[in-house]
Amino acid sequence: MTAKAFLLKDKVALVAGDSKLWAKPVAVALAEAGANVAIAAKDSPRLAEAAEAARKSGGKVTAIPTDVADAAQAQKAVDQVVAEHGRIDILVNAGDIQFFKPFTEITGDEWAKIMDCNFHGTLNFCRAAAKPMLAAKRGRIINIASGLAERGLANGSAYCVSMGCVLQLTRALALEWAEQGVTVNAIGTGWFLEPGAAPIDERLTRYIPAKRYGQPDEIGSLVVYLASDVTEFTTGQWMFVDGGLMAHA
Amino acid sequence: MGTLDGKVIVITGGGTGLGRSMAYRLAEEGANIVVAARRLPPLEETAAGVRERGGKALVVPTDVTDTAQTDRLIEKSLTEMGRIDVLINNAGIVRGERPKTMWEISDQDWRVGIDVNLSGAFYCSRAVSKYFADQKKGNIILVASGEGFRGQRNSFMYNTAKAGVVNLTRVMALTLAEYNVRVNCIVPGFVDTYDNQPEDYQKVMDEMRASGARRLFVPVGHSGKPDDIGYLGLFLCSDASDYVTAGIFISDGGGLAGGFATTGFAPTVSLEEGLA
Repeated sequence: MTAKAFLLKDKVALVAGDSKLWAKPVAVALAEAGANVAIAAKDSPRLAEAAEAARKSGGKVTAIPTDVADAAQAQKAVDQVVAEHGRIDILVNAGDIQFFKPFTEITGDEWAKIMDCNFHGTLNFCRAAAKPMLAAKRGRIINIASGLAERGLANGSAYCVSMGCVLQLTRALALEWAEQGVTVNAIGTGWFLEPGAAPIDERLTRYIPAKRYGQPDEIGSLVVYLASDVTEFTTGQWMFVDGGLMAHA
Repeated sequence: MGTLDGKVIVITGGGTGLGRSMAYRLAEEGANIVVAARRLPPLEETAAGVRERGGKALVVPTDVTDTAQTDRLIEKSLTEMGRIDVLINNAGIVRGERPKTMWEISDQDWRVGIDVNLSGAFYCSRAVSKYFADQKKGNIILVASGEGFRGQRNSFMYNTAKAGVVNLTRVMALTLAEYNVRVNCIVPGFVDTYDNQPEDYQKVMDEMRASGARRLFVPVGHSGKPDDIGYLGLFLCSDASDYVTAGIFISDGGGLAGGFATTGFAPTVSLEEGLA
Protein backbone atom coordinates (compact mmCIF):
# COMPACT_ATOMS: atom_id res chain seq x y z
CA MET A 1 0.00 0.00 0.00
CA THR A 2 1.22 3.44 -0.87
CA ALA A 3 1.07 6.36 1.57
CA LYS A 4 -1.31 9.07 0.40
CA ALA A 5 1.46 11.62 -0.12
CA PHE A 6 3.21 9.33 -2.59
CA LEU A 7 0.19 8.32 -4.65
CA LEU A 8 0.59 8.65 -8.41
CA LYS A 9 -3.05 8.69 -9.28
CA ASP A 10 -3.64 9.45 -12.98
CA LYS A 11 0.02 10.10 -13.61
CA VAL A 12 1.60 8.71 -16.73
CA ALA A 13 4.80 6.74 -16.37
CA LEU A 14 7.12 5.13 -18.88
CA VAL A 15 9.52 2.39 -17.80
CA ALA A 16 12.24 1.90 -20.40
CA GLY A 17 15.15 -0.46 -20.82
CA ASP A 18 16.15 -4.08 -21.05
CA SER A 19 16.90 -5.80 -17.78
CA LYS A 20 16.30 -9.10 -16.08
CA LEU A 21 15.68 -7.29 -12.84
CA TRP A 22 13.83 -4.04 -13.05
CA ALA A 23 11.03 -3.67 -15.58
CA LYS A 24 8.47 -5.80 -13.79
CA PRO A 25 8.90 -4.62 -10.18
CA VAL A 26 9.18 -0.98 -11.23
CA ALA A 27 6.08 -1.16 -13.45
CA VAL A 28 4.15 -2.97 -10.71
CA ALA A 29 5.14 -0.43 -8.04
CA LEU A 30 4.11 2.49 -10.23
CA ALA A 31 0.82 0.83 -11.15
CA GLU A 32 0.08 -0.01 -7.51
CA ALA A 33 0.63 3.66 -6.66
CA GLY A 34 -2.04 4.57 -9.20
CA ALA A 35 -0.07 5.49 -12.31
CA ASN A 36 -0.83 4.51 -15.86
CA VAL A 37 2.25 2.66 -17.05
CA ALA A 38 3.91 2.03 -20.38
CA ILE A 39 6.85 -0.33 -20.65
CA ALA A 40 9.35 0.01 -23.49
CA ALA A 41 11.76 -2.88 -23.87
CA LYS A 42 12.75 -5.44 -26.44
CA ASP A 43 9.97 -7.69 -27.62
CA SER A 44 10.19 -10.71 -25.33
CA PRO A 45 8.16 -12.82 -22.91
CA ARG A 46 9.78 -10.72 -20.17
CA LEU A 47 8.09 -7.59 -21.51
CA ALA A 48 4.71 -9.31 -21.74
CA GLU A 49 5.11 -10.69 -18.23
CA ALA A 50 6.00 -7.27 -16.79
CA ALA A 51 2.98 -5.69 -18.48
CA GLU A 52 0.69 -8.45 -17.29
CA ALA A 53 1.91 -8.14 -13.69
CA ALA A 54 1.45 -4.34 -13.72
CA ARG A 55 -1.99 -4.70 -15.27
CA LYS A 56 -3.06 -6.88 -12.33
CA SER A 57 -2.05 -4.06 -10.01
CA GLY A 58 -4.50 -1.67 -11.61
CA GLY A 59 -4.12 1.25 -13.96
CA LYS A 60 -3.79 1.23 -17.69
CA VAL A 61 -0.71 -0.63 -18.86
CA THR A 62 0.82 -0.62 -22.33
CA ALA A 63 3.69 -2.74 -23.56
CA ILE A 64 5.70 -1.06 -26.30
CA PRO A 65 8.19 -3.40 -27.98
CA THR A 66 11.22 -1.18 -28.57
CA ASP A 67 14.85 -1.41 -29.48
CA VAL A 68 15.90 1.08 -26.80
CA ALA A 69 19.29 1.63 -28.43
CA ASP A 70 17.53 3.07 -31.48
CA ALA A 71 16.84 6.77 -30.89
CA ALA A 72 14.00 6.84 -33.41
CA GLN A 73 12.26 3.94 -31.72
CA ALA A 74 12.66 5.57 -28.31
CA GLN A 75 11.14 8.74 -29.71
CA LYS A 76 8.29 6.71 -31.18
CA ALA A 77 7.63 5.06 -27.81
CA VAL A 78 7.46 8.42 -26.03
CA ASP A 79 5.26 9.82 -28.81
CA GLN A 80 2.92 6.86 -28.40
CA VAL A 81 2.61 7.48 -24.64
CA VAL A 82 1.94 11.17 -25.13
CA ALA A 83 -0.58 10.44 -27.92
CA GLU A 84 -2.41 7.97 -25.70
CA HIS A 85 -2.43 9.92 -22.42
CA GLY A 86 -1.80 13.49 -23.44
CA ARG A 87 1.39 13.70 -21.41
CA ILE A 88 4.30 11.92 -19.74
CA ASP A 89 4.98 12.60 -16.06
CA ILE A 90 7.48 9.95 -15.11
CA LEU A 91 10.32 8.24 -16.96
CA VAL A 92 12.19 5.39 -15.30
CA ASN A 93 15.27 4.25 -17.17
CA ALA A 94 15.80 0.68 -16.09
CA GLY A 95 18.27 -0.70 -18.60
CA ASP A 96 20.69 -3.05 -16.90
CA ILE A 97 22.46 -5.84 -18.72
CA GLN A 98 25.05 -7.55 -16.58
CA PHE A 99 28.25 -8.43 -18.36
CA PHE A 100 31.55 -9.28 -16.72
CA LYS A 101 34.65 -10.27 -18.61
CA PRO A 102 38.39 -9.56 -18.46
CA PHE A 103 39.05 -6.22 -20.15
CA THR A 104 41.51 -7.58 -22.71
CA GLU A 105 38.99 -10.14 -23.94
CA ILE A 106 36.03 -7.81 -24.47
CA THR A 107 35.26 -7.33 -28.16
CA GLY A 108 34.24 -4.07 -29.75
CA ASP A 109 30.81 -5.50 -30.42
CA GLU A 110 30.40 -6.41 -26.76
CA TRP A 111 31.39 -2.90 -25.69
CA ALA A 112 28.90 -1.45 -28.14
CA LYS A 113 26.11 -3.74 -26.99
CA ILE A 114 26.63 -2.97 -23.29
CA MET A 115 26.81 0.76 -23.90
CA ASP A 116 23.69 0.49 -26.06
CA CYS A 117 21.66 -1.40 -23.47
CA ASN A 118 22.87 0.29 -20.31
CA PHE A 119 23.60 3.81 -21.42
CA HIS A 120 22.33 4.75 -24.88
CA GLY A 121 18.87 3.47 -24.02
CA THR A 122 18.77 5.86 -21.06
CA LEU A 123 20.18 8.66 -23.19
CA ASN A 124 17.64 8.09 -25.96
CA PHE A 125 14.68 8.15 -23.60
CA CYS A 126 15.93 11.26 -21.77
CA ARG A 127 16.20 13.01 -25.11
CA ALA A 128 12.78 11.88 -26.22
CA ALA A 129 11.00 12.69 -22.95
CA ALA A 130 12.72 16.04 -22.44
CA LYS A 131 10.51 17.99 -24.80
CA PRO A 132 7.09 17.10 -23.36
CA MET A 133 8.38 17.30 -19.77
CA LEU A 134 10.02 20.69 -20.24
CA ALA A 135 6.95 21.98 -22.06
CA ALA A 136 4.81 20.88 -19.11
CA LYS A 137 7.36 22.35 -16.68
CA ARG A 138 7.06 19.15 -14.74
CA GLY A 139 8.71 15.80 -14.94
CA ARG A 140 10.33 13.04 -12.99
CA ILE A 141 13.22 11.13 -14.48
CA ILE A 142 14.57 8.25 -12.46
CA ASN A 143 17.61 6.38 -13.68
CA ILE A 144 18.64 3.10 -12.14
CA ALA A 145 22.42 3.08 -11.76
CA SER A 146 24.37 0.38 -9.97
CA GLY A 147 26.87 1.42 -7.30
CA LEU A 148 29.39 0.19 -9.87
CA ALA A 149 28.89 3.61 -11.47
CA GLU A 150 31.35 4.70 -8.81
CA ARG A 151 33.10 1.61 -7.46
CA GLY A 152 35.41 -0.58 -9.48
CA LEU A 153 35.10 -4.33 -9.95
CA ALA A 154 37.52 -6.74 -11.61
CA ASN A 155 36.07 -7.92 -14.95
CA GLY A 156 33.49 -5.16 -14.65
CA SER A 157 35.03 -2.50 -16.91
CA ALA A 158 32.26 -2.33 -19.52
CA TYR A 159 29.49 -2.54 -16.95
CA CYS A 160 31.12 0.03 -14.65
CA VAL A 161 31.65 2.48 -17.51
CA SER A 162 28.10 2.12 -18.79
CA MET A 163 26.70 2.79 -15.33
CA GLY A 164 29.07 5.70 -14.73
CA CYS A 165 27.64 7.29 -17.87
CA VAL A 166 24.11 6.93 -16.54
CA LEU A 167 25.09 8.52 -13.22
CA GLN A 168 26.80 11.52 -14.77
CA LEU A 169 23.96 12.05 -17.24
CA THR A 170 21.68 12.12 -14.20
CA ARG A 171 23.68 14.81 -12.45
CA ALA A 172 24.22 16.96 -15.51
CA LEU A 173 20.55 16.92 -16.57
CA ALA A 174 19.45 17.62 -12.99
CA LEU A 175 21.45 20.84 -13.04
CA GLU A 176 20.40 21.76 -16.54
CA TRP A 177 16.70 21.42 -15.75
CA ALA A 178 16.78 22.41 -12.08
CA GLU A 179 14.73 25.55 -12.66
CA GLN A 180 12.35 23.95 -15.10
CA GLY A 181 10.41 21.60 -12.89
CA VAL A 182 12.00 18.43 -14.20
CA THR A 183 13.86 16.47 -11.53
CA VAL A 184 16.44 13.88 -12.48
CA ASN A 185 17.57 11.39 -9.88
CA ALA A 186 19.23 8.02 -9.78
CA ILE A 187 18.51 4.96 -7.72
CA GLY A 188 21.69 3.23 -6.67
CA THR A 189 21.63 -0.53 -6.47
CA GLY A 190 23.85 -3.11 -4.85
CA TRP A 191 23.73 -6.85 -5.47
CA PHE A 192 20.29 -8.05 -6.52
CA LEU A 193 19.03 -11.42 -7.68
CA GLU A 194 16.16 -12.38 -9.90
CA PRO A 195 13.54 -14.17 -7.82
CA GLY A 196 14.56 -17.81 -7.56
CA ALA A 197 18.10 -17.30 -8.84
CA ALA A 198 21.01 -18.68 -6.83
CA PRO A 199 23.56 -16.31 -5.27
CA ILE A 200 26.47 -15.66 -7.62
CA ASP A 201 28.99 -16.14 -4.86
CA GLU A 202 28.70 -17.04 -1.18
CA ARG A 203 31.49 -14.63 -0.19
CA LEU A 204 29.43 -11.81 -1.60
CA THR A 205 26.49 -12.66 0.63
CA ARG A 206 28.74 -12.31 3.67
CA TYR A 207 30.20 -9.09 2.30
CA ILE A 208 26.85 -7.34 2.08
CA PRO A 209 26.12 -5.74 5.48
CA ALA A 210 22.52 -6.98 5.34
CA LYS A 211 23.95 -10.48 4.66
CA ARG A 212 21.65 -11.09 1.73
CA TYR A 213 21.08 -10.05 -1.86
CA GLY A 214 18.32 -7.61 -2.62
CA GLN A 215 15.02 -8.64 -4.21
CA PRO A 216 14.23 -6.49 -7.24
CA ASP A 217 10.85 -5.38 -5.88
CA GLU A 218 12.67 -3.72 -2.97
CA ILE A 219 13.45 -0.70 -5.14
CA GLY A 220 9.76 -0.14 -5.95
CA SER A 221 8.97 2.11 -3.01
CA LEU A 222 11.91 4.41 -3.76
CA VAL A 223 10.86 4.64 -7.41
CA VAL A 224 7.38 5.69 -6.29
CA TYR A 225 8.75 8.19 -3.77
CA LEU A 226 10.99 9.85 -6.35
CA ALA A 227 8.16 9.83 -8.89
CA SER A 228 5.72 11.50 -6.50
CA ASP A 229 4.79 15.14 -6.06
CA VAL A 230 6.61 15.46 -2.72
CA THR A 231 10.09 15.29 -4.27
CA GLU A 232 10.05 18.42 -6.38
CA PHE A 233 13.00 19.84 -4.42
CA THR A 234 15.02 16.64 -4.76
CA THR A 235 17.18 16.49 -7.85
CA GLY A 236 20.59 15.28 -8.93
CA GLN A 237 20.64 12.70 -6.19
CA TRP A 238 21.73 9.08 -6.15
CA MET A 239 19.76 7.19 -3.51
CA PHE A 240 20.68 3.67 -2.60
CA VAL A 241 18.83 0.45 -2.01
CA ASP A 242 21.78 -1.80 -1.30
CA GLY A 243 21.56 -3.40 2.15
CA GLY A 244 24.32 -1.07 3.37
CA LEU A 245 26.81 -2.15 0.73
CA MET A 246 28.18 1.27 -0.17
CA ALA A 247 28.74 2.25 3.48
CA HIS A 248 31.49 -0.19 4.22
CA ALA A 249 35.09 -0.61 3.19
CA MET B 1 71.54 19.19 -1.90
CA GLY B 2 67.96 18.30 -1.27
CA THR B 3 64.63 19.67 -2.35
CA LEU B 4 63.80 20.64 1.24
CA ASP B 5 67.12 22.17 2.29
CA GLY B 6 66.74 24.40 5.32
CA LYS B 7 62.98 23.90 5.66
CA VAL B 8 61.50 23.23 9.07
CA ILE B 9 58.74 20.67 9.24
CA VAL B 10 56.72 19.93 12.36
CA ILE B 11 55.32 16.41 12.57
CA THR B 12 52.88 15.35 15.26
CA GLY B 13 52.73 11.67 16.03
CA GLY B 14 56.33 11.75 14.93
CA GLY B 15 57.60 8.94 17.12
CA THR B 16 56.20 6.01 15.22
CA GLY B 17 54.96 4.54 11.99
CA LEU B 18 53.91 7.04 9.36
CA GLY B 19 55.24 10.02 11.30
CA ARG B 20 58.67 8.48 11.59
CA SER B 21 58.73 7.47 7.93
CA MET B 22 57.82 11.01 6.89
CA ALA B 23 60.47 12.45 9.20
CA TYR B 24 63.16 10.29 7.61
CA ARG B 25 62.10 10.80 3.99
CA LEU B 26 61.96 14.56 4.58
CA ALA B 27 65.28 14.66 6.41
CA GLU B 28 66.90 12.86 3.50
CA GLU B 29 65.87 15.81 1.32
CA GLY B 30 67.48 18.29 3.70
CA ALA B 31 64.61 19.20 6.01
CA ASN B 32 64.96 19.89 9.70
CA ILE B 33 62.32 18.17 11.74
CA VAL B 34 60.39 18.96 14.89
CA VAL B 35 58.94 15.73 16.23
CA ALA B 36 56.04 15.86 18.64
CA ALA B 37 54.15 13.09 20.38
CA ARG B 38 53.22 12.04 23.89
CA ARG B 39 55.87 9.43 24.58
CA LEU B 40 59.47 10.57 24.77
CA PRO B 41 61.48 7.41 23.96
CA PRO B 42 60.09 6.89 20.44
CA LEU B 43 60.52 10.63 19.79
CA GLU B 44 64.18 10.44 20.75
CA GLU B 45 64.61 7.50 18.39
CA THR B 46 63.06 9.40 15.48
CA ALA B 47 65.18 12.46 16.30
CA ALA B 48 68.31 10.33 16.28
CA GLY B 49 67.30 8.92 12.89
CA VAL B 50 66.77 12.42 11.52
CA ARG B 51 70.22 13.50 12.74
CA GLU B 52 71.81 10.41 11.17
CA ARG B 53 70.35 11.61 7.89
CA GLY B 54 71.93 15.02 8.31
CA GLY B 55 68.93 16.98 9.54
CA LYS B 56 68.49 19.00 12.66
CA ALA B 57 65.91 17.55 15.01
CA LEU B 58 63.95 19.03 17.86
CA VAL B 59 61.93 16.89 20.22
CA VAL B 60 58.84 18.44 21.80
CA PRO B 61 56.75 16.03 23.88
CA THR B 62 53.18 17.07 23.15
CA ASP B 63 49.68 15.90 23.89
CA VAL B 64 47.80 17.33 20.90
CA THR B 65 44.53 17.34 22.82
CA ASP B 66 45.90 19.99 25.19
CA THR B 67 45.86 23.42 23.55
CA ALA B 68 48.46 24.84 25.93
CA GLN B 69 50.79 22.13 24.67
CA THR B 70 49.96 22.60 20.99
CA ASP B 71 50.53 26.35 21.29
CA ARG B 72 53.82 25.62 23.02
CA LEU B 73 54.82 23.18 20.25
CA ILE B 74 54.50 25.91 17.63
CA GLU B 75 56.19 28.56 19.80
CA LYS B 76 59.08 26.30 20.66
CA SER B 77 59.55 25.27 17.04
CA LEU B 78 59.75 28.93 16.01
CA THR B 79 62.07 29.92 18.84
CA GLU B 80 64.49 27.06 18.49
CA MET B 81 64.35 26.36 14.74
CA GLY B 82 63.67 29.91 13.59
CA ARG B 83 60.86 29.08 11.17
CA ILE B 84 58.13 26.64 10.24
CA ASP B 85 57.50 25.70 6.64
CA VAL B 86 55.17 22.77 7.01
CA LEU B 87 52.94 21.35 9.73
CA ILE B 88 52.06 17.70 9.38
CA ASN B 89 49.13 16.68 11.59
CA ASN B 90 49.78 13.00 11.84
CA ALA B 91 48.94 12.23 15.47
CA GLY B 92 46.10 9.79 15.93
CA ILE B 93 44.97 6.75 17.80
CA VAL B 94 44.81 3.84 15.40
CA ARG B 95 42.28 1.72 17.21
CA GLY B 96 44.68 1.06 20.04
CA GLU B 97 42.21 -1.04 21.94
CA ARG B 98 39.55 -3.59 21.36
CA PRO B 99 36.33 -2.00 20.18
CA LYS B 100 33.63 -1.66 22.79
CA THR B 101 29.97 -2.12 22.08
CA MET B 102 28.17 1.17 21.58
CA TRP B 103 26.55 1.25 25.02
CA GLU B 104 29.88 0.66 26.74
CA ILE B 105 31.58 3.70 25.21
CA SER B 106 32.05 6.34 27.89
CA ASP B 107 31.94 10.10 27.42
CA GLN B 108 35.66 10.04 28.01
CA ASP B 109 36.22 7.37 25.30
CA TRP B 110 34.28 9.48 22.84
CA ARG B 111 36.08 12.71 23.70
CA VAL B 112 39.54 11.19 23.60
CA GLY B 113 38.87 9.47 20.28
CA ILE B 114 37.56 12.63 18.66
CA ASP B 115 40.14 14.89 20.30
CA VAL B 116 43.23 12.92 19.36
CA ASN B 117 42.13 12.18 15.80
CA LEU B 118 40.38 15.42 14.90
CA SER B 119 40.60 18.24 17.46
CA GLY B 120 44.37 17.86 17.81
CA ALA B 121 44.79 18.58 14.09
CA PHE B 122 42.68 21.70 14.46
CA TYR B 123 44.55 22.87 17.57
CA CYS B 124 47.98 22.51 15.95
CA SER B 125 46.81 24.09 12.70
CA ARG B 126 45.20 26.98 14.55
CA ALA B 127 48.38 27.52 16.53
CA VAL B 128 50.46 27.92 13.37
CA SER B 129 47.82 29.63 11.22
CA LYS B 130 48.54 33.24 12.21
CA TYR B 131 52.27 32.77 11.64
CA PHE B 132 51.59 31.28 8.21
CA ALA B 133 49.05 33.99 7.36
CA ASP B 134 51.39 36.80 8.45
CA GLN B 135 54.25 35.52 6.33
CA LYS B 136 51.86 34.84 3.43
CA LYS B 137 53.17 31.34 3.02
CA GLY B 138 52.46 28.05 4.65
CA ASN B 139 51.74 24.40 4.17
CA ILE B 140 49.55 22.20 6.33
CA ILE B 141 49.13 18.48 5.84
CA LEU B 142 46.53 16.36 7.58
CA VAL B 143 46.46 12.61 7.81
CA ALA B 144 43.02 11.01 7.58
CA SER B 145 42.26 7.39 6.77
CA GLY B 146 40.30 5.35 4.27
CA GLU B 147 38.03 4.69 7.25
CA GLY B 148 37.05 8.35 7.02
CA PHE B 149 35.25 7.58 3.77
CA ARG B 150 33.46 4.41 4.83
CA GLY B 151 31.85 2.89 7.89
CA GLN B 152 33.11 0.07 10.03
CA ARG B 153 31.32 -1.81 12.79
CA ASN B 154 32.07 -0.43 16.26
CA SER B 155 34.65 2.04 15.01
CA PHE B 156 32.83 5.10 16.25
CA MET B 157 35.40 7.69 17.18
CA TYR B 158 38.07 6.78 14.65
CA ASN B 159 35.85 6.73 11.57
CA THR B 160 33.91 9.78 12.63
CA ALA B 161 36.98 11.83 13.46
CA LYS B 162 38.79 10.84 10.27
CA ALA B 163 35.80 11.87 8.16
CA GLY B 164 36.06 15.17 10.01
CA VAL B 165 39.73 15.45 9.11
CA VAL B 166 38.87 15.14 5.41
CA ASN B 167 36.48 18.04 5.55
CA LEU B 168 38.64 20.07 7.94
CA THR B 169 41.20 19.91 5.14
CA ARG B 170 38.78 21.43 2.66
CA VAL B 171 37.58 24.14 5.03
CA MET B 172 41.11 25.18 6.01
CA ALA B 173 42.26 25.09 2.39
CA LEU B 174 39.47 27.42 1.30
CA THR B 175 39.89 29.67 4.31
CA LEU B 176 43.66 30.01 4.13
CA ALA B 177 44.06 30.10 0.34
CA GLU B 178 44.12 33.90 0.31
CA TYR B 179 47.14 33.82 2.61
CA ASN B 180 49.02 31.51 0.27
CA VAL B 181 48.70 28.69 2.75
CA ARG B 182 47.95 25.37 1.18
CA VAL B 183 46.27 22.51 3.01
CA ASN B 184 46.16 18.92 1.85
CA CYS B 185 45.15 15.56 3.21
CA ILE B 186 46.90 12.22 3.08
CA VAL B 187 44.63 9.19 3.21
CA PRO B 188 46.43 5.97 4.05
CA GLY B 189 44.71 2.64 3.73
CA PHE B 190 45.88 -0.26 5.87
CA VAL B 191 49.50 0.42 6.70
CA ASP B 192 51.56 -1.79 8.95
CA THR B 193 52.82 0.49 11.66
CA TYR B 194 53.90 -2.20 13.98
CA ASP B 195 56.97 -0.84 15.69
CA ASN B 196 56.79 1.01 18.96
CA GLN B 197 53.12 0.32 19.42
CA PRO B 198 51.56 -0.71 22.72
CA GLU B 199 51.25 -4.42 23.35
CA ASP B 200 47.46 -4.58 23.02
CA TYR B 201 47.70 -2.93 19.61
CA GLN B 202 50.32 -5.40 18.48
CA LYS B 203 48.02 -8.20 19.57
CA VAL B 204 45.14 -6.87 17.50
CA MET B 205 47.48 -6.47 14.53
CA ASP B 206 48.78 -10.02 14.91
CA GLU B 207 45.27 -11.40 14.90
CA MET B 208 44.36 -9.36 11.85
CA ARG B 209 47.37 -10.56 9.96
CA ALA B 210 46.75 -14.17 10.90
CA SER B 211 43.13 -14.02 9.81
CA GLY B 212 43.98 -12.52 6.42
CA ALA B 213 41.05 -10.15 6.94
CA ARG B 214 42.85 -7.19 5.45
CA ARG B 215 43.44 -8.92 2.15
CA LEU B 216 39.68 -8.93 1.63
CA PHE B 217 39.65 -5.16 1.45
CA VAL B 218 42.93 -4.38 -0.28
CA PRO B 219 42.94 -5.01 -4.03
CA VAL B 220 46.74 -5.21 -4.26
CA GLY B 221 46.52 -8.01 -1.72
CA HIS B 222 48.73 -6.67 1.05
CA SER B 223 49.02 -3.87 3.58
CA GLY B 224 50.98 -0.75 2.81
CA LYS B 225 54.29 0.19 4.38
CA PRO B 226 55.04 3.45 6.15
CA ASP B 227 57.20 4.67 3.28
CA ASP B 228 54.22 4.56 0.92
CA ILE B 229 53.00 7.47 3.00
CA GLY B 230 56.46 8.93 3.72
CA TYR B 231 57.07 9.67 0.05
CA LEU B 232 53.60 11.12 -0.38
CA GLY B 233 54.45 13.45 2.51
CA LEU B 234 57.65 14.38 0.69
CA PHE B 235 55.72 15.28 -2.46
CA LEU B 236 53.27 17.44 -0.51
CA CYS B 237 56.04 19.17 1.49
CA SER B 238 58.07 20.02 -1.58
CA ASP B 239 57.65 22.83 -4.08
CA ALA B 240 56.62 20.22 -6.63
CA SER B 241 53.12 20.57 -5.19
CA ASP B 242 53.06 24.37 -4.95
CA TYR B 243 49.71 24.78 -6.74
CA VAL B 244 48.11 21.86 -4.94
CA THR B 245 45.62 22.66 -2.22
CA ALA B 246 42.47 21.08 -0.82
CA GLY B 247 43.73 17.83 -2.29
CA ILE B 248 42.79 14.48 -0.88
CA PHE B 249 45.61 12.06 -1.62
CA ILE B 250 44.75 8.42 -1.20
CA SER B 251 47.38 5.70 -1.04
CA ASP B 252 45.53 2.55 -0.10
CA GLY B 253 46.35 -0.28 -2.45
CA GLY B 254 43.14 0.40 -4.34
CA GLY B 255 40.84 -0.10 -1.37
CA LEU B 256 38.56 2.86 -1.91
CA ALA B 257 38.30 2.20 -5.65
CA GLY B 258 36.56 -1.04 -4.70
CA GLY B 259 34.03 -1.65 -2.01
CA PHE B 260 31.37 -3.42 -4.04
CA ALA B 261 32.63 -6.94 -3.48
CA THR B 262 35.47 -8.65 -1.68
CA THR B 263 38.86 -8.16 -3.22
CA GLY B 264 39.64 -10.79 -5.81
CA PHE B 265 36.00 -11.31 -6.72
CA ALA B 266 36.00 -11.17 -10.51
CA PRO B 267 32.75 -12.50 -11.92
CA THR B 268 32.32 -13.62 -15.50
CA VAL B 269 28.95 -13.24 -17.17
CA SER B 270 28.83 -13.50 -20.95
CA LEU B 271 26.83 -11.15 -23.11
CA GLU B 272 24.51 -14.02 -24.04
CA GLU B 273 23.82 -14.73 -20.36
CA GLY B 274 23.36 -11.04 -19.65
CA LEU B 275 20.89 -10.58 -22.48
CA ALA B 276 19.06 -13.86 -21.92
